[in-house]
Parts: sequence; C-alpha cells; structure tokens
Amino acid sequence: MTTTTFPFAYATTDWPVLERMAEAHRRSWAMLAAPGEWWTGAQRVSIAAECRRASALVDGLPDPGPGPAALSEAALFAVHKLIGDLPNVTREWYDETISAEGMSDTHYIELLGVVVHIWSVDEFHRALDIELEPLPAPIPGEPTRIRPLGAKPHGSWPATIRPGDLGETEADIYGGAEYAANVRAAMSLHPDSVRWLSDLFDAHYLSWIEIGGEQEPFRVLTRPQRELVAARVSALNECFY
Amino acid sequence: MLLGRSSEEHSALNLNGTVRNDIDSGVEHGDVLLRYADAAVGHTPDLASSREALNSSMGPDAVVDCAATIANFQRMVRIADGCGIPLDSFSRQESAKWRDDLGIDGFRSRGNTFG
Repeated sequence: MTTTTFPFAYATTDWPVLERMAEAHRRSWAMLAAPGEWWTGAQRVSIAAECRRASALVDGLPDPGPGPAALSEAALFAVHKLIGDLPNVTREWYDETISAEGMSDTHYIELLGVVVHIWSVDEFHRALDIELEPLPAPIPGEPTRIRPLGAKPHGSWPATIRPGDLGETEADIYGGAEYAANVRAAMSLHPDSVRWLSDLFDAHYLSWIEIGGEQEPFRVLTRPQRELVAARVSALNECFY
Repeated sequence: MLLGRSSEEHSALNLNGTVRNDIDSGVEHGDVLLRYADAAVGHTPDLASSREALNSSMGPDAVVDCAATIANFQRMVRIADGCGIPLDSFSRQESAKWRDDLGIDGFRSRGNTFG
C-alpha cells in the first residue's frame, strides 16, 4: 500500500520522538520515492517493500506484499540477503550479484542505500512499537544513469570516491572534509546514498558537533552508553568491522 | 571493531561486556540498555518488557535515544558488510589484543574486512 503523504506523526505515539528525527524520516521517504541514478522511483519503492517482506519472512509474519514495480531475481535475492543473512554476505556473493542480468556495481550500491535506510527507519519503529509508515507513492521519471568519474578501487568491493576525487555534482557529500572514513565513503558510487546516510546518521546517532567532543543537549544517553549499544548491535549482526 | 578503540577513550567501557551478558559492561544502566538492544535486534517477545525496563530505569527520552542508536547501527553494519569495507592497518594491529578475547575473530565477515 502506498500513499502520497508521509506524516511520521510521532505526536500520536507514547514516545517523545525528536522532531529532528521525524524530519529526517520524512526526507527519507521523499528520497525513496524519487527516481535515482540507476532505479526508477517505482523500483526503489519496490526495493523498500521487499525489505519489509524479508523482515516479515525472518520473523514469521504475514507477507506484506510486493511493491509497484517488478524486480529481477538478483535484486530480490540481494534484498533478502542483506536483511536476513548478513553474516553470509561475501565477496563471491557480491561479484555474482553485480554480474547478474539487470545488475551492476552502481545498481547494487543504490539498492543497498535504499535497503539500509528503509530498514533503519523501520527498525526504529519496531523498537518503539510504532506502526510502520506506509511506503510512498513513487515519483515518475527515469534514472539519470550518471556514474561518478572519480570512483576508483580503494579496498572496498565497490569503487569509492576519495575527497580529492569528488566531481562538481557530488562535491558536497563529505561536507567539505579532507578525509572520509571507509564506512562513510562505502556507498559513494551512488552519491545520494552518502547524503542520505549523513542525514540519518546525524538524526539517529551523532552529529559533527558531537564528533568534535561536545555532547549535544538533546542527547540523553551518554557517549559510552550509546557505544555500548552500538557494539552490541554490531556483535549481534556478527559484523567484524 | 572501530568501537573497540573508543573503549580506550572511555575507560568505563568493558568491551567483554558488550558481547557477554555475564560480564558487567561498566556502563551505568548497561544491563537494561543491552537487554533492550538484544530484544530489538532479535525481534524477540522480550521487546515490550525490555523497553519498559529501560523506560523505568532511564525514562522515555532514553528509550527513544536507544532506539535511534539501534536503528543507526542496524544500518551501519549492513553498509560495512554489504561493501566489504577494509580495516586500516593501524586498527588491525591495535585491535588484535582484544579481538580474540571477544570472539569476533570468528565472525565470517572478518574475511570481508581483511580481504
């Protein structure tokens, strides 16, 4: 089921969700609905719908149904792998996935960007027992299919862009920083996914103010408390990094 | 992995407590935070009661902050493992002394990070 509005009406819940979080979630839905570089808006919404199907499958819940556009078998399998079988994601699997019909490294990174951000917003809702927001109606339009020229192999499976190699169209993605951590640069083959990551990271976890050392006044958990939780989530997912 | 280095900055954090429930993490309210994280990530039936335990201990704002932290890292681990991002050589060396203790050298994703 889709809708043209995405209120994220947290005021009606029992929890004091910060407006900065609600705003970031609304921007996420707007980002999701729009055509990307390699997938249409309808395909992106279908990737999000498949995330929910994968989660339901893992949890033994009723199938919420597919999205508005058909996806290739490789794309469907990738979504389910990233949601339900993360410890078994390997280089070999990545190579097979990007070589499949209708896929490429750029398609994969944009798909990953949709998966991780929708999953993250949905997990926030599940953790607070808030009903999942209906997925947005896709915005018509064609993907632009522009591959960043500065993307090169730097050790991650996909090519990434280092700050010094940023072109005009993606010059903003690291906020002007001269260094970008590997995890921040990981999805730079699809620059909008890096922008999306920065937006939700800032709303959910840390902003650059706090990275500088000063805890923001709206944060409740101390830095060690948040890092404790973060480490446990990483361990539960068997994430070595 | 990178969080391990933060334990050197925050001496209160006992890394073993992040992966083992029988060891005190050394962090205030660590027990209720971890119980909630376990339930939220595992989508277990304990989610409602663990959330209420955290709410009783730290209040509703802390529950929201914790849920946001969980949501953030449910995203970050998938980026890391979905892209096989490498660990720099300094972090490899520095983390060697506690990786084995924590058992994370046994994670299959180690192969992704070490190439």
